[in-house]
Amino acid sequence: MNLEYTPILHVPALVPILAVGSAFALPLIHLVTKSRKVCEYFVVTITGIELVLTTIVLHLAYTSTKPIIYTFGAWPPPVGIVYEIDRFSALLGVLAAVLFFTAALYSTKYLEKDYGVEWYYTLLLGFEAGIVGCAYTGDIFNLFVMFEVLSISAYALVAFRKDVPEAVEGSLKYAIVGSVATTIYFIAITFIYGSFGTLNMADLAAKVRGLTFPVTGTALGNVHVATGIALALIVWAFSIEAALVPNHFWLPDAYVGAPVTFSAISSGAAVNISLYIIARYLYTILQGRDGPAAPTVEAVLIALVVMGCLSAIVGSVLMIVQKDINRLIAYSTIVNSGYIAIGLGIGTPLGIVAALFHMINHAVAKALLFFCAGNYVHVVGSRDLDDLAGVGKKMPLTTIGLVVGALALAGVPPLNCFMSKLILAQALFEANLTPLIAVIVFASVLSLMAYLKIIYNVYCRAPVKKLPEAREHPLMAYPVIAYAITCIVFGLLAPILVPTAIEPAVTDLLNTDNYIKAAMEIAEKLLR
Amino acid sequence: MSMLEFTLLMYCYAALIAVLAISLYGLVRRPNILKKIICLSIFGDTANTLIIFLGFRTRNPIPPIVPTLTPTKSLMMEFTRRAVDPVPQCLVLTAIVINMAVLMFLIFLAIQIYRHYGTLDVRKVARLRG
Repeated sequence: MNLEYTPILHVPALVPILAVGSAFALPLIHLVTKSRKVCEYFVVTITGIELVLTTIVLHLAYTSTKPIIYTFGAWPPPVGIVYEIDRFSALLGVLAAVLFFTAALYSTKYLEKDYGVEWYYTLLLGFEAGIVGCAYTGDIFNLFVMFEVLSISAYALVAFRKDVPEAVEGSLKYAIVGSVATTIYFIAITFIYGSFGTLNMADLAAKVRGLTFPVTGTALGNVHVATGIALALIVWAFSIEAALVPNHFWLPDAYVGAPVTFSAISSGAAVNISLYIIARYLYTILQGRDGPAAPTVEAVLIALVVMGCLSAIVGSVLMIVQKDINRLIAYSTIVNSGYIAIGLGIGTPLGIVAALFHMINHAVAKALLFFCAGNYVHVVGSRDLDDLAGVGKKMPLTTIGLVVGALALAGVPPLNCFMSKLILAQALFEANLTPLIAVIVFASVLSLMAYLKIIYNVYCRAPVKKLPEAREHPLMAYPVIAYAITCIVFGLLAPILVPTAIEPAVTDLLNTDNYIKAAMEIAEKLLR
Repeated sequence: MSMLEFTLLMYCYAALIAVLAISLYGLVRRPNILKKIICLSIFGDTANTLIIFLGFRTRNPIPPIVPTLTPTKSLMMEFTRRAVDPVPQCLVLTAIVINMAVLMFLIFLAIQIYRHYGTLDVRKVARLRG
């Protein structure tokens, strides 16, 4: 075997390791330098490097014909832990890295009144490691570990402002619900390991098909019963993390007291990752509704569509009645998570294209809205919409961003979310689920009313109390402008983006043959 | 496997699943935060026990160590039949560490809740509604 040493192939492993390593280094750096500035520069640099690294991984994934496999310690797939990165996961990795980079820039000014920021940045880097690790991994137990890294960082980030009672209360709710969810996923792993005798995703996919994989051979027990139980538990666990109704209740509470940077990343990346994991199980491992586990998958797909519709309706109805700006935008996350779930639940490639495109568009627009809300709340010092009355006139840049983000999320034509909703409607139409288009339109109209409520309050109303004369700091305005431009550009370029970026990613997700073959080639070297 | 062994094994599985159900019930119904945390801990530990059970061999289990450096085929057959599966133990080791981290975090949160609200009753800790 002629193996050339190519350093670039180690980049996939470097992404989470760099994040975790610098997360642990940060408290030490602060201990030595005792300087807030050093920590901020450090974190912005590291998240910038992460962005470059994930982009390299994206480039590798889009130029290669099969998924990239990174074997830790050169242990081949069924024996060791591997990263298996296809275009779908590489795309989500870059999305998360962009969110983290902007959030790190934004935090430098947003948290100027808080103390203990070194811990905040430590958790932020841990959160990044968890999210990217979840996206890249090709091993279901490594997925559990990375998801726990993500979750523990997220619980602690919610409680970062521990002097605010709402933050601690929201964090407690999130932590209890979230750790139940991860334990449920652990039990699902128990069932999978007990019947398949393996933890590797490619190996599982091969065993679902009845193929023999090197080292582990064929499945040990009754695959169909175990798949059914495990899939039910997995969907339960990750619908909690993805905030799908009826498992959504923790999300608005967690977002109220949390720093808005957390809310932006969580709704842009953590929710997406949970839905991505469900999609990976349904479409790559169990091979969709035409695969060997068709009855189970079919039932889960119906459940996803139902939960998605419920999320869209319940989220948009509750959104209108909110008085707290963070909570209002949090309900919007539930609505959009519902759209993505509907897209994944349709089960056709077009539905998944809609879901993936909406994941990206929603992440961009939602980060924009949260950053705008953060700008207002930072100046005024209150989250109540009545207290924010009139603040929009003093901060024109933020208000422009807010209007763009709100219109984008509501689905106004030239903007990005309109395009993904259009594809979603088309997918529903092709799958003979036309009545559900009414649900999407209904939820969009209701959420438009809720967004107009924010815009009316911050821009059109006269101030209720005297407002401070502060403007947004450039570092807090740049991310807003950048995201607003992205919203418009993604909307206008959608006819180019969808065939070049989204469709190859979805093809990779559905191409189980390639996914198994890439791992099997490496595994067969072990037997040689 | 004899009838007795099978019955015992099934009894253990049933007991574990019952404990899972009871701890979930306690987690949902008990108003006290500390009791919720205790239930969560029981829930996690039961899941760990469940996966340890999977790796167990009922008849004459041996540790998963090959006693020689040059194993023969018959020795390896005997080994795979009797040796305890080490993978679930590794999984549990990881899960225990993670559970500990979550548990510590939850206990710190409970302390902080008590400082803010003066109670650990979730019915009174309710500033967030809707």
